[in-house]
Amino acid sequence: MKPPESDHQLFERLRAGQEQAFLALYQKRQPALYRFALQMSGSASVAEDITQDVFMALVRDECGYDPSRGSLAAYLFGIARKLLLRQYERRRSDVPVDTGGGEAGFAELVDDADPLADLTTRERVEALRRAVASLPRRYREVVVLCDLEEVDYAEAAVALGCPIGTVRSRLHRARSMLAVKLRDERHGGASVPAWKAARCAI
Amino acid sequence: MNCEDYWNDLTGPEPEVDFEAHLAACPACTARYAAGRPVAANLRLLAADMKRVTAPPRVEARLLRAYRERYGQPVPPARELHRWWAAAAAVLLAAGALWTGARSPERPRVASNSPVAIAAVDEQDAAFVPLPNAAGSPQDDDVDLVRVELPRSAVTALGIPATDDSDSASVEAEVLVGPDGMARAVRFLN
Ligand SMILES: [Zn+2]
Repeated sequence: MKPPESDHQLFERLRAGQEQAFLALYQKRQPALYRFALQMSGSASVAEDITQDVFMALVRDECGYDPSRGSLAAYLFGIARKLLLRQYERRRSDVPVDTGGGEAGFAELVDDADPLADLTTRERVEALRRAVASLPRRYREVVVLCDLEEVDYAEAAVALGCPIGTVRSRLHRARSMLAVKLRDERHGGASVPAWKAARCAI
Repeated sequence: MNCEDYWNDLTGPEPEVDFEAHLAACPACTARYAAGRPVAANLRLLAADMKRVTAPPRVEARLLRAYRERYGQPVPPARELHRWWAAAAAVLLAAGALWTGARSPERPRVASNSPVAIAAVDEQDAAFVPLPNAAGSPQDDDVDLVRVELPRSAVTALGIPATDDSDSASVEAEVLVGPDGMARAVRFLN
């Protein structure tokens, strides 16, 4: 059996007019891109449009993909993200970056117990879904990419156009924010302030 | 690196080792990091739950149409064969609809230049001919694109002439199938 073709091989073949390669690449990469767009927009129709537009850029050879700067998958996530940002600007539907809380330090969150320990799997999934959806965009995107779609830090850095260290710190902070949100949801009230989010140009 | 650097976005190219070093040396950040760990485990549950979510098939149908507009029609790849089976039931229904539609005496025979003009075809779907049983169906619901073979007799009975020289008994076509399994529109490839 032949090893599966790399994205790059499929990309080269689809540009040579080989439809089979285009479909193979679409079927391989579409699900994660669609889910990313769905989690980021909260809208199935927006996610559908974004997914279509990302691959339409491939069809039209307009994506400007440069293999020396990262993988095709990272590049496609990057296009999806840019299209999503355009949507946000149009609809102003983003969750504000202010996460509440002031300059509170770290002492408030030293408990590493699972805040969802006594819930069923279904209840956990639903609680997480709500908590992720309520994260500010720049934290949500890193959680969706790295934790939900298992994109590694280097690839996520290419997709998000930021250094690896930023991906990493955002991801860790995002998980802490989720821990706080989940605890608040379980125990009522936003008693525990989150670490103040830093402003970032990206 | 201080605690705030660790948790805040850093714009410079920070080496990974700085993070590791800070985490190793700072109990406060270690504790905070640990608090996120059960969340990461729970996120894996959400990830598993999300795995079944994918773009609806109509996206693929639209992209394929766009791809073919740019690069032209392909030789049918072998990997699509399995989809023919999946479409078999829908195809039989479609072929049946074509056949009975063409045979009913009150239905006028249609010329090849105005094929089965039952419903208006939107510009994007110019190459697809809507089927009689699809009249009134929503234009943009959850359709799938499947490639099928139809008996040549069913095609010629519709007034669409064989456009190639082959004597094969069947004609290749692409069918847009709705979520109800009914064929909505057909496009002949030969
Ligand atoms: Zn620290």
